[in-house]
Order: sequence, then C-alpha cells, then structure tokens
Amino acid sequence: MSTTLPPRAVPEPGRAPESVAELIPHLEETWKQPPGLWAWLRSVDHKSIGIRTMVTALIFFLLGGLEAATMRAQLARPENTVLGPDAYNQFFTMHGTTMMFLFAVPVMQGLGLYLVPLMVGTRNVSFPRLNAYGYWVYLIGGAFLYVMFLLNTGPDTGWFSYVPLAGPEYAPGKRVDVWAQTITFTEISSLVTATALIVTVFKNRAPGMTLNRIPLFVWAMLVQSFMVLFAMPWVATASQLLAMDRLVGTHFFNQAEGGDPILWQHLFWFFGHPEVYIIAVPGLGIVSSIVATSTRRPVFGYPAMVLSLVATGFLAFGLWVHHMFATGLPQLGESFFSAASMMIAIPTGVQIFCWIATIWAGRPRFTVPFLWVLGFVVVFIIGGFSGVMVASVALDQQVHDTYFVVAHLHYVLLGGAVFPLFGAFYHWFPKMTGRMLSDRLGRWQFWLFLLGVNLTFFPMHQLGLDGMPRRVYTYLPEAGWGRLNLLATVGAVTIAVSVVLLLINVIRSLRTGAPAGENPWGGETLEWATTSAPRPYNFPLIPVVNARSPLWEETGPLRGVAGLRTDVCDVLVTTLLDAEPDNRHRHPPPTIWPLVAALATGVTFITLIFTPWGAVIGFPLLFLGFFGWAWPHGRDHREQLSIEAERPVEAGP
Amino acid sequence: MTEMRIVGNVGNLPTTTFGHRSMAWWGTVGFIVIEGTTLFICAVCYLYIKQNFPTWPPEHILRPSLIAPAVQATLMLVSNVPMVIVDRAARRLDVATVRAGMMIMCLFVVVMCFLRVLEFQALNVRWDSSAYGSVAWATVVAHATLLVVETAETFVLTALVYSPRLEQRDVSAVSDNALYWYFMTGAWIPLAALVFLSPYLM
Amino acid sequence: MSVLQQLDSFPGRHSALDPGGPQAALIRDRLWDPMYATAVVTFVLVVAALMWAVFRRRSPGEESDDPRREPVMRRAVGLAAAVTVVVLFVFLVADVAAGRVVTATPGDDAIQIRVIGHQWWWEVQYRDSLPQRWVATANEIHVPVGRPVVLELRSTDVIHSFWPPSLTAKRDLIPGRVNSLWLQADTAGEFRGMCAEFCGHQHAKMAFIIVAEPAASFARWLAQQRDTAGTPQDSLTRRGQEVFLGSQCPMCHAIAGTPAGSRVGPDLTHLGSRRTLAAGTLPNTRGNLAGWVVNPQRIKPGAKMPPNALSPDDLQALLAYLETLR
Repeated sequence: MSTTLPPRAVPEPGRAPESVAELIPHLEETWKQPPGLWAWLRSVDHKSIGIRTMVTALIFFLLGGLEAATMRAQLARPENTVLGPDAYNQFFTMHGTTMMFLFAVPVMQGLGLYLVPLMVGTRNVSFPRLNAYGYWVYLIGGAFLYVMFLLNTGPDTGWFSYVPLAGPEYAPGKRVDVWAQTITFTEISSLVTATALIVTVFKNRAPGMTLNRIPLFVWAMLVQSFMVLFAMPWVATASQLLAMDRLVGTHFFNQAEGGDPILWQHLFWFFGHPEVYIIAVPGLGIVSSIVATSTRRPVFGYPAMVLSLVATGFLAFGLWVHHMFATGLPQLGESFFSAASMMIAIPTGVQIFCWIATIWAGRPRFTVPFLWVLGFVVVFIIGGFSGVMVASVALDQQVHDTYFVVAHLHYVLLGGAVFPLFGAFYHWFPKMTGRMLSDRLGRWQFWLFLLGVNLTFFPMHQLGLDGMPRRVYTYLPEAGWGRLNLLATVGAVTIAVSVVLLLINVIRSLRTGAPAGENPWGGETLEWATTSAPRPYNFPLIPVVNARSPLWEETGPLRGVAGLRTDVCDVLVTTLLDAEPDNRHRHPPPTIWPLVAALATGVTFITLIFTPWGAVIGFPLLFLGFFGWAWPHGRDHREQLSIEAERPVEAGP
Repeated sequence: MTEMRIVGNVGNLPTTTFGHRSMAWWGTVGFIVIEGTTLFICAVCYLYIKQNFPTWPPEHILRPSLIAPAVQATLMLVSNVPMVIVDRAARRLDVATVRAGMMIMCLFVVVMCFLRVLEFQALNVRWDSSAYGSVAWATVVAHATLLVVETAETFVLTALVYSPRLEQRDVSAVSDNALYWYFMTGAWIPLAALVFLSPYLM
Repeated sequence: MSVLQQLDSFPGRHSALDPGGPQAALIRDRLWDPMYATAVVTFVLVVAALMWAVFRRRSPGEESDDPRREPVMRRAVGLAAAVTVVVLFVFLVADVAAGRVVTATPGDDAIQIRVIGHQWWWEVQYRDSLPQRWVATANEIHVPVGRPVVLELRSTDVIHSFWPPSLTAKRDLIPGRVNSLWLQADTAGEFRGMCAEFCGHQHAKMAFIIVAEPAASFARWLAQQRDTAGTPQDSLTRRGQEVFLGSQCPMCHAIAGTPAGSRVGPDLTHLGSRRTLAAGTLPNTRGNLAGWVVNPQRIKPGAKMPPNALSPDDLQALLAYLETLR
C-alpha cells in the first residue's frame, strides 16, 4: 500500500471504481489509527472504544471480585474479624455498585459497540465522538468512585442505597454523595452508548439487511438499548433528588415534611428491575450467536426469538414492585406484579426451548464457547426457578432480603450474563485480536467456574431459608450457618482460580495464540467476513446481503457497493425498514474534544458533591468542551454552501 | 481480506438530508426521549408527593403567582411560529431567512431565560420548605436545564449560520434544533399547568 | 441469673422450613414445597432435553438445517411453552390464595403489640386501655400459644424489617408509616427473628426472641411485666441502684419505679427476666452483662451505647441490682 498519495487521486463520486484493490490504499490512509498515546486519546473508532470499554469493565470485574472475596473471607466463620461493620458495609456496597454499574452494563455495551457495526455491515457507530465521550465519562466515574473508596469515603449504604439510611440524617459525610454521582457518570455513559447503538442499527445497516435479516445479537443490543433509554433516567433522577436532599435541604424522601422513603424505592426499582434485564438481554443475544455458529444452523424460530426479546424488554418495566413486597403495599397491587414477574419467565423460556431445538436439529461442535452456552442454560434456569419462587408474594415475604435472594440474583446474573460473556470472549477474541485463546485453558476455566459458582451460591438458598439475612457482617456461631458459609467461601476461591486462568489465557494468547484467520468457527454473520482484527474501516465495500446468515446462504465472494468517498470517513445511511441506500454521511476524524468534554463533565459533577456552585463552575467548562466538539473543523469545499446548491436536496418530511 | 465483488455504486446519493433521513435527527430524537422521560419522572414525583398532603399547597404556603408563568407559556407557544419558518427555510437551504430567523430565536431564548428566573420567584415557596416546595422546584429546574442547553445551542447555531465557511450539512442542524425547540416548548405546557395551576385546581 | 433452661436453647427456631405457626407452615407447605419439587423436576427435564439434543447420535450425512425437522420443533417448542404457561398460572393461583390467608386479619381475640424499630434494637409495647397496664420491654416478645397476635410496626429512624422465619413472613418498619403483621405460635418454644432490612452498622446484630408459652404462663409474665421494679432489698443492690442512677445510664434507659424514665434506649425495668442481651446477641448471663455494660462497642461496634468505666465494686453492685429486675 502506498504511503504518500497524490493530493486528489481519489475516486470521483459517481465514477465507479474498477476493483476493490484500488480503494484499499485510500481507505487505509483515511481511516488509519496511528499508534501512540495522543492518537489513542483522540480515537473515535468503535472497535477501539469497544475494546477499551470491555477491558475497563473487566478491571472493575476483578475489583468487584476482590471485594467479594474479602466478604467471603469475613463470612467464612462466625464472628470473624477480617472486616468490621463499617468496612464490611463499604465492601458490599462497592461490590454491588461495581458489578452492576461499572462492570455488567458497560461490558455488554462495549461488546455491542465492537460487534454491532461489524454485524450490520457499516464502518463505525452512528455517533463516533459521542461514543468516545461515553467511554471517558465512564472511566472518570469509575476511577472517581475508587479513589474515594481508598480515601475511606466509599459509599456504605448498599448498591440500592435506601433512604432514610442514606439520607442526610443517618448518613453524614460524602459517602452517599459519591455513590449518587457515580450513578450520574455511568448513566450518562450508558445513555449515549445506547443512543449511538440504536441509530446505528436503524440507519447504518447493509443494503438488503431488512428487519427480519438482522442478527439476533443485534436485536438483543437494540432491545437493550431501548431499555437503557427508558430505565436509566429513573435512577439518574432519583440519585439527583437524593443528592439534593443531602446537599440543599430538599424533602423528597423526608416523611416529616411530606416526602416519602417509599418514593425512593419506586424510583430506584423502576430502573433497577429493567437494569437486570439490561444486563441479561445481551447475554441472550450472545447465546444465539454462539448456538448458531456452533450447531452450524440458524437459531430455530427467528420470529419467536425476536418477539421474545422485545416482550422481555417491555415486561421488564412492569415488575419493579416485586422488590417491595415487604413494605406493606396493598395486596391487589402486589398480586399484579406477582403475575407479571411470573409471566416474564415465558419469553425467556421460549428462547431456551428454541435453543435446545436448534441444538437438537443441528450438528453441535464442542468448542469452548459452546461449553459456556451449556453452562449458561444450567445456571440460568436455576436462577429462573428461584425467580419464580420470589415472584410469589407470600414466599418472597419469607426470603426477601435474605441469602436466598443473594443466591437467586447471582444465579441469574452469572448464568444469564457472565457465562455468555465468557463464551463471547472465546468466540470473538480471535476476531478482535487475530489469535485464538487456548482451548485447554478454556476448558479448565469453564469447569472450575461452573463448579465454583454452584459451590458458592447454591448453599445460599438454604442459608436464606434458614434465617440468614443479607448484608450482615457476621453471624452467631449458634445460628448454625457456619458450615454452609464456609462451603460458599471455598466456592468463591474456586471462582477466583478460574478467573485467574482466564487472565493467564488472555495474556498468553495475545502473544502466542494460534493465528485465527478470518472465520475460525465458520460463523455466518458479517463480522466473520473481514480480517481478524478488522481494518479500521471494517469492510472495503459496504456489504450487500439478502439472507439472514449471509456467509452461509450466499455463494461466491461477498457482494458490496462502492461509491463512498475514500478521502473522508464516508458511511452509508440506509432506510429504517428495508435498508435501502438513502444518503451518505461523513464521520469526523479523530479528535480530542470528547475527552475534554468528559473532563468538563467530571469536574462539574464532582464539584457538585461539595457545593451547588459546581453547576456555575461547570457550565462554562461544559460549554467550552461541547463547543470545541461541535464547531466544525476543517472545511470541505465540496460541501460548502453556495447560493446555487450543487445538487438539489430532497427535504424529508 | 475476504474478496468482495462490486454490485452497485452509491456515489450519487446526497450528503445533506433532513428529518428521519438524517442520522443527527435520530440523535436529537434520542436526546428528546431521554429528557422527556426525565421530565415525566418529575411530574410523577410531583403527583406522588401530592398524595401526602391534605391540602395543596400545604398549609401556610402561598399559591404560585400566575403572571410570569402565563407570559412564559404564551411566549413559548408563540416562539414556535418563527421556529417553523426557520425550519422550513433550512430545508430549502434558504440561508438568508435562516440567518434572520435564528437571530429572532436568540432574542426569544434570552427573554425565556429571564422569564424563567421570574417563574422561580412566582412559585412562592422555597425548595427546602416541605416536599411541596421540593417537587415544584425540581420540575422547574429539570425543564430549566433544557432551556439552558437550548440557549447555548441557539447562539452557537446562529454564529455558525453566519460563518462564511458554512457547509450544507450544518443547515440540517438548524432543522434538528427546531425539533428540539418544539419539544422544549411543548413539554413545558403540561409541566407549567401541573406546577402553577394544580395548586388552584386541587 | 436467668438461664435458658426451660425452653429451647439459644438462639431459638429460625427457619422458614421449620414452621411453628400457621403462616410459616402455609408458606412452606403450599408454596415452597410444590415450587421446589416442580423446580427439581423441570431442571431434570430441561437438562435431560439439552443433553439429548447435544449428544443425540446423528447419521453421517445429516443436514444441520433440514427443513423437514421444522414442524416437529415447532410443536415441541409450542408444547413446552404451553406447559410453562400452565405451571406458572397454577403457581400464581396458589400464590394469591396463600397471600389471602397470610394477610387476612385475625379475629377480635388477637393480642395487639406495638413494635418500634430503632437502630439497633426493638422496642416492644403491650398497650392497654389503661395506661398503667402498659408493658414496655425490648427485644423479647411473649405470646400465648395458639392465639393470634397482631403487631403494629413502626420505626423511629430508618427502615427495618421484622422477620421471625419460623412463624411468619417479614414486614418492614418504615418511618412515617404504620405496618401491621399478624402471627401465631402453635407450639411453645423460642422463635428467633432478625432485622431483615439493612439499617446501618449493627444490622447484623439486631435480633429478637418471640417466646411462645401456655396461656397461664403468658398471663403471669404479662402481670409481672406490668409491675414496677422492686426496691432493692440489701446494701449491695441498693448501691447498685445508686450506681445506675448516678452514671450516664438514666440518660437513655428507664426503670419504672425509679427516676430513670428516658425512652431513648431499651427499658430495663425487667431486664433480669429477659433471655438475651443486646438485641439477641448474647445470652443474658452475668458475665455477658458485665462485658456489655463496660464496653458495648466491643460487642456491637457502632452501637449507640457508650462504654462505661466502672470500678470493679461498682460494677458488681450494678450487676447485682440489674439481676433483681425481673
């Protein structure tokens, strides 16, 4: 490929390039991602942002795991002295907050950011700078939380921070405010990512990728992104109301002045229940991808699968009161939520039955990703059963806020998200890095993890039924909970060993893993139709598809359309339903402004913890950051406005 | 690299579009959904808290004054007229009309900010004076953030349309901004009714 | 000093699977048992189906997406989904029915008890139409066997949750609200409960005991609790009372019949008759009481009770006095 190009030697619009090879040198030059820190800080490439999001999320996973390990060490014996009550309260709060806000949602969004543009056949997400901004805000928020934790100002009222315990009277100091602003950072990040993903799926699909040809993983990310849009504002608003109660004396949750502690629970759980599906739904999408590729056939029942995902997304918003069955709400209302909570098992069940049918009809290969799918089924359905149990009002009123719920939530989250996620690593690591992960280490890791999860969390069902509440830093020897707690701690050690194996596998394979080639698993979706790792522009031509599994159902070389400019980051915009080519859009080159805007956002929200003047200090900084971002840099003479427009533009409705 | 075969050419497709054909429009819609949800949440909190009080506003608290809110609501509705004109002009690439119109929108938005300050005073209650004050302020503050963002956006866009290096695609941003304007003004009407009128009706 | 000799040993029955009353029994028998059995059966069936799907022998030339299999698969998935719907519906009906019974208000012969949650202890009041017959105690509730008890649940600070798993399901204590929960013990014994809503530093050590006893013995207990504390009979216990009244104790604790009347902390009028100390944390023995009085922070770090530096003689006198408060 040439390193210096003649100034205007690019295909003129309208002139058909004669071959793909002609385009590549120009694409390489226009889309290049130079090495070095400065370029890394300015990158707006979805793959780079996606990977750094996943790596950051995995670091938080390790930190959350260390917190869990410490908690398990404390609980291994009654009246243990590893952690006193104050430290324990910070640890369990940090564990929940880290896992839910800093790991589970970002890692799935990061995976989606990486895969969705590739799977739909485009070159970047719809809003590259917004995407970069989202990552930096996430990083700043997570780093801020941990710095404060190390300064003994970590939150200590639980990841759902009930009032009045978290209010100004019973939680003095800044710990809860730190929690509230961490929410703000992570919520902004998730919302912008969700917006970018939705618009990518709506408007940037490959020509011919009609709605019923969209891969199931992309459907899952689409459903998840909509859920994020409608769920996250509830926790963002709630956390700001709490911050205001604590900082400026409002009374949203102060019953003495007409406020209501139960309002907090409604607001939080209206977000909190969809949140767990926001975490699980991408996992379901991953399972579909791996099942199809591993069984060498498309997942059975595509319409039922899509409808199940959509139904899950909707139903998830109608369940939240099941977290409040012990608060004394009217029984009729509780029955409604009990029914809805049981009902949501149906679409998930349908998906599992479709996967089993797919496996039955196909020819499965026992790859490591496939093992993770099998593990997912086993672990997730156990969580599903305990879920149906806690959906029952009276039974929930026994086990609510006990270790039974801890068991349930870990079974569904580990089963529904982490098992598929580890499967996703083994499945797509070759695509992302060009190298295979070690198969042998992968199998060891899988079996240890499966064993560890069950050893740790199955006994907790019994502990909860036996009277052990949640969030207790210790327990009496006479309670009889010592043996099962010790067993759970042994399980936690097993999990830790398994995770260490994963780390070793990743680090070693990055250097010496077997070369992967473009399509090591024989996959059917578009991400397997390009190099491993993909070039920054993903595909030399925008692919054209006319089937659900393009790489299986179409013969001959992959078809594509030319005509996009190669001197700027041009992408194709297609119509919503039928993905017909409609217009072209120019994406921005790498820029530092998203990072600047994120830093301004960080300064604003961190200062707001200490004084309302943070808004006054922050506003000019934010203005500068976003102005620098949005004000056009560099002019393109072909796009400049003149009184006679170059070509008439159809105004949309 | 996988072999690819050229089967078509999209070089003649336009690069400037408006409405749902434009990606930025969808981004604006996304932003509207998020902020609209937030405003809805404030209204929900308002109605929820209201149940805790036998009288509304609570005893010893004055009802809000209606003058500033009435003027603001009227102004917001009226402002949509020039906004529609600017929107249509943008879609025709009629830069002269767009420029003049955006100047007018700048005036509108400045007056609206000023009126917003008066509206806070019109509430006749402090934010820390019972949960009534807190939810009334929260609702108006939430909408005020829209107004602040829109003020910045209006001024920046006005500067942009006067810039000699204006590109065609920037004109599309004017139309997206109009959509946001319709949302901002439209969302205020029910919220204003809730916060300023419901103390008279309940 | 009272030792737990006559009834069950510390800490008392505390399992949802070991019911001692109708509600816990109903929840276990009509909800837990059938749901657990169904879960086991379903798990076995699904995993068996999965294993069969994975390991079924395939003929060498078999197509992986043979369209002739589609109708069979459709029917199988449809059937499985239909069975799921039916099973869930049955559970829903069982749940609503159980809920009706568990929350149905008991008859007029129910005993009314008010429980007020504090960080990190339970205030217990047996109210009566005559104020002088009120009983105020802490962390221990006595009930007659076989008679329903209605608990009125309140909180003075944060949200707590009252949960005696062997008797009934939990209910939250929410500041600004009054919740109600009824229970009944069908056998004599001690039933332990814990706070089940995270409420701060010593949430882990906020337990209570429900003592179910025959009607006559309950009546005796209640009558005894209505009495004021007796006057100290010997010089040691008199000195102990002086130590009590002269230290910081009366700032938080009340002893009926003495000038100490603060309601900030647990009422101590009948401390000697209680089975546990520090909200179910320790059996009520002289040694434990000594340790608790001298430094509660060692047992419940973060508790609102400060340490008390007492000379050994003062401490012995105080303990002797407190032991007389039956």
